[in-house]
Amino acid sequence: MSRETLVDHARALDCIHCGLCLTTCPTYQLTGLETSSPRGRIHLMRAVAEGRAEPDATFEDEMNFCLVCRHCESVCPAGVEFGAMMEFSRGALLERRPPGLLARLARWVGFRGILVRRAGLRLAAVGLRAVQLLRLDALVSPLLGLRGQIIRHMPRVPSARERRPLPPVTPAEGPPRGTVLVLDGCVMPELFGRVNRAMTDVLAATGREVRSVPKHVCCGALHAHNGELDQAEELARKTISQFNEVDGSAPVVIDSAGCGAHMKEYGRLLANDPEWRERASSFAARVVDLTEELASPEAIPRLRERLADGHGIQGPVTWDDPCHLCHGQGVREQPRQLLDLVPGLERVEMSGADSCCGSAGIYTVLRPEDSLDVLDPKLESLEQTGAKTLVTANPGCHQQWEIGVGKSGKGVEILHLAEVLERALRPR
Amino acid sequence: MGSGRKQLSRQHLAELERIVGKKGVRTDATARAAYESDAFMLQRANAEVIVLPRTTEEAAAAIKVVRDAGLVVVPRGAGTGLSGGARPVENGAIVGTARMRGVLEVNAEDRYARVQAGVVNVHLTAACADVGLFYGPDPSSQTACTIGGNVGNNSGGPHGFKYGSTNRHVLGLTMVDSEGEVIELGGPGATGDGGLDLLGPVIGSEGMLGLVTEVTVQLLPRPEKVETLLCLFESLDDCCDAVSEMIARRLEPSAIEILDRLTIEAVEASVLRAGYPDNAEAVMLVEVEGGDEEVDATSADVIEVAREFGAFDTRRTTDPVERKRLWAGRKGAFGAMGRIAPDLYVADVVAPRTRLREIVTAATVACRERDLKLANVFHAGDGNLHPNISYDRRDADEVRRVLEAGRIIMEACVEAGGSLTGEHGIGLEKQDEMCLVFSDDDLAAMDQLRGAFDPDAFWNPGKMLPVRGCREIHTRPLPTHAQPAEDAS
Repeated sequence: MSRETLVDHARALDCIHCGLCLTTCPTYQLTGLETSSPRGRIHLMRAVAEGRAEPDATFEDEMNFCLVCRHCESVCPAGVEFGAMMEFSRGALLERRPPGLLARLARWVGFRGILVRRAGLRLAAVGLRAVQLLRLDALVSPLLGLRGQIIRHMPRVPSARERRPLPPVTPAEGPPRGTVLVLDGCVMPELFGRVNRAMTDVLAATGREVRSVPKHVCCGALHAHNGELDQAEELARKTISQFNEVDGSAPVVIDSAGCGAHMKEYGRLLANDPEWRERASSFAARVVDLTEELASPEAIPRLRERLADGHGIQGPVTWDDPCHLCHGQGVREQPRQLLDLVPGLERVEMSGADSCCGSAGIYTVLRPEDSLDVLDPKLESLEQTGAKTLVTANPGCHQQWEIGVGKSGKGVEILHLAEVLERALRPR
Repeated sequence: MGSGRKQLSRQHLAELERIVGKKGVRTDATARAAYESDAFMLQRANAEVIVLPRTTEEAAAAIKVVRDAGLVVVPRGAGTGLSGGARPVENGAIVGTARMRGVLEVNAEDRYARVQAGVVNVHLTAACADVGLFYGPDPSSQTACTIGGNVGNNSGGPHGFKYGSTNRHVLGLTMVDSEGEVIELGGPGATGDGGLDLLGPVIGSEGMLGLVTEVTVQLLPRPEKVETLLCLFESLDDCCDAVSEMIARRLEPSAIEILDRLTIEAVEASVLRAGYPDNAEAVMLVEVEGGDEEVDATSADVIEVAREFGAFDTRRTTDPVERKRLWAGRKGAFGAMGRIAPDLYVADVVAPRTRLREIVTAATVACRERDLKLANVFHAGDGNLHPNISYDRRDADEVRRVLEAGRIIMEACVEAGGSLTGEHGIGLEKQDEMCLVFSDDDLAAMDQLRGAFDPDAFWNPGKMLPVRGCREIHTRPLPTHAQPAEDAS
């Protein structure tokens, strides 16, 4: 593989080296090193392509150290598409220097065995639940160092009833406003089935008929972020076909920010595939985050009418922006607007709400120490708000916060925005 | 490892790691490549080692080791400098302040703050927002650049028009000298201790006199009211003339900025889109601060002059969110140029404010003749022009033409009675042009002053002062406010 194809050279040229991205970067914040800043990483990619640096182990480590939170994209005046560049580099590095046998096996099991198969995911969930019920996690965690701490504080895998898939159709309540498709997702139904159901209920309450896509499993976001680009493309094609089989024009509503950000970029992902380019772009245009859908002028009045106090949610609440919602999709106002609709709920802003919590997909597993270091300042910010409930909208962040709050022993409840709204729709 | 590289001995390396921790020392090829330049991309060099201390004490101890190892030091803040001041010296050390980010003290009563040198400019202002104070200098890179870097370059920013550059705000400095000793200059209460003012030479010294590790700055009370005005012009010339007239009429807004059409287009295409109108050839961005009546009166005067000079539309706002957006667009203008070409040459010259139009024209002509793309965005209020020339560093001939145009612009400014730099420093970029302003004698005097702090050229050698004598550079010093050279032929 030649140097030119190792990085996305054309995109690297957009960077003019101004440095305005530096302070937004969580890894630069940790190290103060140019090498772990967006500007530095782009500079290194370009240096590699132009033969002034070697794509050696240190280079690779800096690429993998990045969380791909894309905070830098939110402030980049030159519009550098950093996330896309990073996915490209990781993919190329993987091809150039495949990881060791064990790592390759783990990747194969993870990316091809579990994530993309419902049976695999169920098996993993059942296994993890058994481990948790038998307290085996507590038993082995001291042997696993930081990973052990993470495992011990991971959210419990809920009972099988909680993990049942979404019904194929949920009818609209009140005057109907048309159909939407929703993504059940890979990890979501196993760990956060209740969130998916809350999403469905809230959408139905605003007059949407909600249809799920039972055949579908994985959108490919985690594959793309970790350099498995061929697999990501394949999963994108599959996703588009399976959703279009159910409905070829309805909006596609996503309650997981990482998936939404990725699916909105299917057009770019399949840009080099003449057969799929068009279909991918028009599908991507139908993808909306749940908060965008619910904050639409048609949905807001329906929610306002029905949301009530007595939801039992402990205030004050604070909103933590998932990176792939605020930086990846530019969605910042809608979630706040929705929380403010809930009667009897005081909302406080958290400083640095739009900086990364360290979850970053499977980063917590790959680099536990860095992941927790990135989380630390966030935990401090949370404490300063005095919030009793933290609201997010992405399973990775949800889990990371559970780990953080569990580790620090603070009694803060972590909820998905859909859960907040659902509780306020059906006050006890 | 590359051939001919001066190796830092294992003991020295271990000693550095002991002082600043393993994570604060890098000698690998990847790190050296990432540090090969600052935001001035035309010259690169590889450092031997990058050291990031966390405290003054660590910095002092690390400097002693580096000195003992026989390396020279280039101090570095965030590396946002535009003249190459923080480019490494081949086989030297980079000592960076990026991990020195502590705000050590905010004293609301005496209105000063003491910070570590690596504190980012906006973070200082954020740290004193609660007590209604702010830090005056606001360089366009303020979301990234450090207070230590601001001291090194005597940085200004749009509001430099009212508040002046960094040297008007620094009360005291802690620095590490070339012996690795910590010295204190000035202090929070200092109105001068008597004796020679040593802060003066250090501020703007581009890291040639020592490593500044802590800075005490004065803080200013937030003005009662702030209004931002946009005046739209059909011609850049008219816009420049309007500024000259505002200065002549002694109007005192706190900032007067000009953006031309190409700049507006680049900003509006970016995430920082500020809502600048697309039907103007030039936009004047003005900020007025003070009491209610004062602001109303000044704003009315500004608008009157703008209209007299052909402004076809004016807008004004006091809404903080909208004001922030208007300024974010201005401050991101440099980066937004990345949309036009891979590289940007940001000239930084000062012209007398009565002659803005003339210099802008000279820049336009110089670029047109050389087939270069020019965008203008500048601090018109204090005459600090930033003609921005887009280019691609891989095109050697284009680079040559850009430097030629840059030099013509500098010459035009000096000839008009202006200067070589407003705020970016001399660095590597304008070393030779120093001879346009100073004679060999002037430069020798500067070198003597430098030698008083740093007799062995240990700090950032090869920057600012021309390496070759002016006679060698074959430049005839132009008659300026400085003494003309006796031997000018």
